[in-house]
Amino acid sequence: MSGKEQELIDRYIYQVVRRLPRDQRGEVSLELQELIGDMLEAGGSVEDVLSKLGDPAKFAEKYQDRSHCLIGPEYYDNYVWLLRIVLTCVTATVFVVSVIQGIRDGIVLADGETAGAAIMAAGTGIANGFTGIFIAGLSAFGGVTLAFAVMERRKIRFEMKKEKSWTVRDLGDNFTGKQKIWTPGNLSPIPHKKAMISRGDSIVGIVFIMIFGVLLIFAPQFFGAVFTDGEVVRTIPVFNLDQWDIILPLFILSLAIGLADEVLHLVVGHYCRLVMISSIVTGGLQMILLFLLLKAFPLWNPGFATELELYLGGQDGTGLNEIITRWNGDFVSNCFLVFGLMITLLEVGSTVYRTLRYGIEDPA
Amino acid sequence: MGEEKDLRSSLLMELRRGTLVLSVLSQMEEPKYGYSLVQSLEEKGIDIDPNTLYPLLRRLEKQGLLKSQWETGGSKPRKYYHRTDYGTQIYEELKVQWEELSESMGKLLREGKT
Repeated sequence: MSGKEQELIDRYIYQVVRRLPRDQRGEVSLELQELIGDMLEAGGSVEDVLSKLGDPAKFAEKYQDRSHCLIGPEYYDNYVWLLRIVLTCVTATVFVVSVIQGIRDGIVLADGETAGAAIMAAGTGIANGFTGIFIAGLSAFGGVTLAFAVMERRKIRFEMKKEKSWTVRDLGDNFTGKQKIWTPGNLSPIPHKKAMISRGDSIVGIVFIMIFGVLLIFAPQFFGAVFTDGEVVRTIPVFNLDQWDIILPLFILSLAIGLADEVLHLVVGHYCRLVMISSIVTGGLQMILLFLLLKAFPLWNPGFATELELYLGGQDGTGLNEIITRWNGDFVSNCFLVFGLMITLLEVGSTVYRTLRYGIEDPA
Repeated sequence: MGEEKDLRSSLLMELRRGTLVLSVLSQMEEPKYGYSLVQSLEEKGIDIDPNTLYPLLRRLEKQGLLKSQWETGGSKPRKYYHRTDYGTQIYEELKVQWEELSESMGKLLREGKT
């Protein structure tokens, strides 16, 4: 064999093994030496033999068991499902927060009688919204994809959506706990049409909670009265920002509980016992937290009325003055409390009603 | 026309793929090296590309059905494969399945020609 032929063989083997994991290269390269030698002995030139073996890249591919896909068919359904929800929630939240910010800035400037600047500010807000959607969407996409790609590589078994639909407690008559093997007994009754939870409703709920949460965490002063005082923009916060360190965690806790409940609604997709219990627990906890926030904590900015009055004092008496003189933290708290309790009770009540009326089909 | 040819060859490949493991296992009672296996299968009418067979042998070894050993005595080092006990057990089971399958398939395919 000429040196040139040997060179060709070495190149071929190199092209195969460089595509393989490091620890297999030595062994495979010996195997290929053996194979090519045997094939040459059986007859034919080096070129014939190598042509018969074909493209080294395809050869190497056959040596690798792992599939050449980022997210395989096992995970694909769940991946798309989760991706759609995460993208919707994240982009909607970012967009709405940016637009609110922009419009607020616009209103502030409009107060200063510079309409052009106001429109500019609102426009900037909307533009920021679109930039935000792009960046947040890209990050959310990247994050979800990365998580699934890692699971694909590590072969982590998980059944998010499927397990929910096969193992939720209301599945069948003789269903006990988790079952690995699917049997027809696992088939849950088809939910009544009126027992279906609209996916849109859940997503709107999640987006709303996220918007509220983002504003509370990053811009609590947003909740307040805003004025332009000559050149200066002045904000009088409604909340007691001095005590914010103890108030914020309570808010966040309440929102997190609400979020968990909405996510559960989304995952389960129809009214059933689990959803009902979750709703009752969530409602109960939120009512307690609401009560604590409004009655036990110094939620309101104690100087709100005085500060506002101080500012408005120089202006002509508008309807606002009327409200301010009657501003009373306790009264406002009570109003909110009644309103909050009514909303929560209404929500829990409607869930319980729908579950009992349409959601439970099994005789248990 | 090209598409039709592609479809035909991919269907044929799929049909053969399932039989490869059984073909290889059947030949591995005595130790054999890769290329001798290609030749002996070819003689018996089973065509298999070396670039399919070699990775397959490695995979079967990883699954515990085959065991390999390098022989350095000859003109050049050669890797010999032979069936493990587990491999033999699996082979016997697969053989029974194959015979049943082939009988049923035979019936199915003869149905048309009476």
